[in-house]
Amino acid sequence: MPPRPKKTGPTEIGDGAAKPARKKKEHPAPAAKDDFSNLLEPFYYGKSLTDPINTATDKWNLLPAFLKVKGLVKQHIDSFNHFVDVELKKIVEANRVVHSDADDKFFLRYTDIRVLKPNRIDEDIKDMKYKESNITPNECRLRDLTYAAPIVVDIEYRRGNKMVRRKDIKIGRLPIMLRSNKCVLHGRANRDMGLLNECEIDPGGYFVVRGQEKVILVQEQLSKNRVIVESAKGIMQASVTSSTHERKSKTYVILKKGRLYLRHNILNEEIPIVFILKAMGIQSDHEIILLVAGEDTVYQDQFAPNFEACTRENVYTQQQALDYIGSKIKMTRKPSGYQKRNYQHEAIECLSTIVITHVPVFGMNFRPKALYVAFMARRVLMAMHDPTLVDDRDYVGNKRLELAGQMLSILFEDHFKRFNHEFKVNIDKVLKKPNRASEFDAYDHMHMHGNHLTMGIERALSTGNWNLKRFKMERAGVTHLLSRLSYISAIGMMTRISSQFEKTRKVSGPRALQPSQFGMLCPSDTPEGEACGLVKNLALMTHITTEDEEDPVRKLVFILGAEDIVSASGYEIHGVGAYVVFVNGTPIAVTRTPKKFLTDFRRFRRIGRMSEFVSIYINHHHNGVHIATDEGRICRPLIIVERGRTKVTARYLKALRKGTMNFDDFLTRGLVEYVDVNEENDSNIAVYEKDINEHTTHLEIEPFTILGAVAGLIPYPHHNQSPRNTYQCAMGKQAIGSIAYNQFTRIDTLLYLMVYPQKPLVSTRTIELIKYDKLPAGQNATVAVMSYSGYDIEDALVLNKASVDRGFGRCQVFKKIAVQLKNYANGASDMINASARDPKNPNHLKIGGDGIVEVGMELAKDDVYLLKSTPANTSVSSFSGGANAYGGSGEWRDSHSTYKLPDPSYVDKIMVAENDNQTRIIKIQMRQTRRPELGDKFSSRHGQKGVVGIISPQADMPFSDDGVTPDIIMNPHGFPSRMTVGKMMELLSGKAGVLDGSQQYGTAFGGSKVEDMATILLSKGFSYSGKDYLTSGITGEALPSYVFFGPIYYQKLKHMVQDKLHSRARGPRATLTRQPTEGRSRDGGLRLGEMERDCLIAYGASQLLLERLMVSSDAHEVDVCERCGQMGYQGWCQGCKTGEGVSKITMPYAAKLLLQELASMNVKVKLGLGEEFPSG
Amino acid sequence: MSTYVPPTTTAAATTTTTAASTGEGRSVDYTCGDCNAAVSLKRGEPIRCRSCGHRVLYKQRTNRMVQFEAR
Repeated sequence: MPPRPKKTGPTEIGDGAAKPARKKKEHPAPAAKDDFSNLLEPFYYGKSLTDPINTATDKWNLLPAFLKVKGLVKQHIDSFNHFVDVELKKIVEANRVVHSDADDKFFLRYTDIRVLKPNRIDEDIKDMKYKESNITPNECRLRDLTYAAPIVVDIEYRRGNKMVRRKDIKIGRLPIMLRSNKCVLHGRANRDMGLLNECEIDPGGYFVVRGQEKVILVQEQLSKNRVIVESAKGIMQASVTSSTHERKSKTYVILKKGRLYLRHNILNEEIPIVFILKAMGIQSDHEIILLVAGEDTVYQDQFAPNFEACTRENVYTQQQALDYIGSKIKMTRKPSGYQKRNYQHEAIECLSTIVITHVPVFGMNFRPKALYVAFMARRVLMAMHDPTLVDDRDYVGNKRLELAGQMLSILFEDHFKRFNHEFKVNIDKVLKKPNRASEFDAYDHMHMHGNHLTMGIERALSTGNWNLKRFKMERAGVTHLLSRLSYISAIGMMTRISSQFEKTRKVSGPRALQPSQFGMLCPSDTPEGEACGLVKNLALMTHITTEDEEDPVRKLVFILGAEDIVSASGYEIHGVGAYVVFVNGTPIAVTRTPKKFLTDFRRFRRIGRMSEFVSIYINHHHNGVHIATDEGRICRPLIIVERGRTKVTARYLKALRKGTMNFDDFLTRGLVEYVDVNEENDSNIAVYEKDINEHTTHLEIEPFTILGAVAGLIPYPHHNQSPRNTYQCAMGKQAIGSIAYNQFTRIDTLLYLMVYPQKPLVSTRTIELIKYDKLPAGQNATVAVMSYSGYDIEDALVLNKASVDRGFGRCQVFKKIAVQLKNYANGASDMINASARDPKNPNHLKIGGDGIVEVGMELAKDDVYLLKSTPANTSVSSFSGGANAYGGSGEWRDSHSTYKLPDPSYVDKIMVAENDNQTRIIKIQMRQTRRPELGDKFSSRHGQKGVVGIISPQADMPFSDDGVTPDIIMNPHGFPSRMTVGKMMELLSGKAGVLDGSQQYGTAFGGSKVEDMATILLSKGFSYSGKDYLTSGITGEALPSYVFFGPIYYQKLKHMVQDKLHSRARGPRATLTRQPTEGRSRDGGLRLGEMERDCLIAYGASQLLLERLMVSSDAHEVDVCERCGQMGYQGWCQGCKTGEGVSKITMPYAAKLLLQELASMNVKVKLGLGEEFPSG
Repeated sequence: MSTYVPPTTTAAATTTTTAASTGEGRSVDYTCGDCNAAVSLKRGEPIRCRSCGHRVLYKQRTNRMVQFEAR
């Protein structure tokens, strides 16, 4: 649209308030390492350093600051870093010493474990001290390598009578997450990324395993080590899944017929709760009832019947209780010899280490565990009394997210234990021998299983199967191939959360939108259909916690004046006004001033005396103060409000903009804090500054952050009907655009690129934050909303032929062909046989001197692109004489590769390289350039998809006064039922922005106002409503009504006709059934399905039915004997030994097959024959 | 549906030829993926750039004429 000459002053943009027009930043960036990239930082978008600051509107500046340190995919990276830096050392610490059964003097101890920088497998780690490997992730992608780093340990062990220390012993290789602190990209400036063939916008957070990019999806689970009270089939129960490094177990306290029992897998039957408490040393009935019920007479009456079990079973003392429990323990191993089972010992063992394992028992002090059981019992009593106290499993606060670090941690632990075990078995074997030739050195045996660790982790990552025997864990589909369809699809994959619930269950609870997921999980971004509501996505400003140390928190609890719960009696614990302090679900202290305790504790956190991710909240239903330090909680930052004022003032925002403060400074100064779901629900959060009152504790940083990264692309989503936003979230991932800055250096299996991508005219803050405007996937099309011809009904679009000619919607499709030249066991290997080129064969014309197709050639169907030969003899055992360099007996078999697609491609690039096992790999990239054609799918950003119905010549398109013709004509019937008002507003803002030369915003809960847009339009001489006067291109007359006309951002989706077009008259058939094959790729037939068949039957078109289902499919002639009804052959019945009455009939081959299959199962099927044309 | 077995495509796939590598001495030029130097490789040589040791090489563009249809 040509700009009108009139120029107005500053326009109003942004989130609600008036701001001066955006200027590009004039000042050089403040002291920072990367001057140029700072200019490009989203931080400066829309504001220059000198602009006035208004806290109410400018607090969103915290968001880019947050995204620099946390959020989006940083949780993956944080989790992986935590694993490498902390968890790995803990695992080794727990499995520190290797002993030998054969020699009790021998030991080997791990003193340290480290992960070095990534390197190639053939590089020696000793060299790495002096020279770092120059490996890059992109080299791994191209060469099909694993981007991994060596894991080294320091050991000390006994050799003879001496102690030997050794350092830097490699035990395996660990795949490294991109952009983690071990990655070569870590700490590198953005301008270096090009040198490393990496994209600076690419978020990292995935692994490169055997050349493939693998993501460990976030897994959602019910939280561990927390009590959940629920009523299952009318039975009230409290359950807790205990999880420690050693063991995982689930313990229940259930209510049956008014009695409480404890249930556990190790126990044969449910055991009355009183016995458990007695066995744990709480012997007096009075004490038990006080611990469980306190002074409350209702609870006491409810609990009292439990003591009846004592008299019935004659269990009064601890000894008797232990004997009782011991007798109910399941026998795990066979009784050794004639030794009688010692019930008391077994019961103590069971209670201390197996039941509720996460509460440790030190020195036979069962008190903490007894308290835990008592609390569980109390929760059941409370829930029975008041059913509203049953916990909600779907509440986000009761969930934990498992990230890459945790998944790798259990995987590594399992493999490390196995490594140690195999190592020990090996040592035992040697030490068992009475006299050895040389002194035994355990170091020599260390390298024997190095590969198991490496291969085990690599296999798990590349297949996604987590099979751990120790935890009885068999999970498939943990890792996924990172979808690189578009930049958004990659981002969307990194923020995806998959649930462990089965998809088949017909319960709506887990799928429903939970109020507690506000701000944590995106309300719009979920797939439709089967996985709807089970697969979720993180919101923009969430972080997932890593584990923090519990001990300092415990100490702080006591410093803040809470009393140790172990020394408290039931009176004190359940007395009026007493609140129990729980740390990670375990009661540890009692306080009578919970509110003060809470504020004091929060103050300590806000001044940075403990990790910012420790959360605390009060549960008034259970009279408990809950502190959580565990991993996997979802949390998000909020501005702290004290005494009705926000702590973040203009002064701090100024410092933030100047670069003298960053987000972490805001945290340590106590201006902003992380709040997890439980704490969020214990706070009063104001959305806008004007809403703050005396009860307010927090202020939102920015309301649009409740949406995720993918939903953030939608302009004005708050004006759309909600399912439309969900549809767009699915479609945004299929849009063709740019993938990454390194899109041409990486050779993907399938790559769709748009030829002229444009950044959207109507942007959002999210778009700028995730830098979608730098890797866009779509074009700003001028749209006329009107009816045109009949080719636009049912969402079809009319495209302007001239626009298409100029490159609208043009895209390129790259396909990879990878060929490996395999090495065989007998030393032979595949080769490229350039001499097999036949100059007379027209299919060989495009092959070059090296036996590979020339770069730049057009490949059409049946062209040969690679002359490969495989050795005829690849077996080891056979007599092959002297195998030469290429092995084998010198016999070769040609296995040339031909191009099979119906549409031609150009050879874009050919790469040759070697992978880890010295196998040659050849990757051929082929390119197709496609212009839009009839049936290609397009969509706007509002869930409004449509296919091209007609490509109309420009002369026939309507035009405006300025001579502007639309690129797309969209049918107005798309609007009323779908209610995508956002799309209309996008058009309006886009039109105003185009005329004005300004960037307009459609940020959720804000964005450019329609009124302001109307003013701009008016000032430029257009109608305020966005409607234009158009003239028909066909008749030259004015259109009878004004037409809504302006730019809308359109995405081209990956579904294109060229990939789907398929027809067949005759073609290949499946061998077994002799029916036509299935699917386009196999040139299959078009199926006349059951429902179509029903139509033919109903209509009575029997001859057509016969023709479709048999004659044109798998008609087969068989000889059938009239006498016995069996099939014969060649006019002879083998059963009756006669050729009499054998006649030929035609039947489907599949039917003949069925008869024979039945016969093979001893089922006789008799065919009865009748006249085809009966004479009567 | 049963698995589809593709019809035997060309007779060439089964013919056995003895290793008649006549063009043994010929070398083909490649470009190093790291330093952009031209690397000429003969058959059987390890894939490695002579100047920088990089192991990813690209085949150079053909010098034959290629005609495109601009649409």
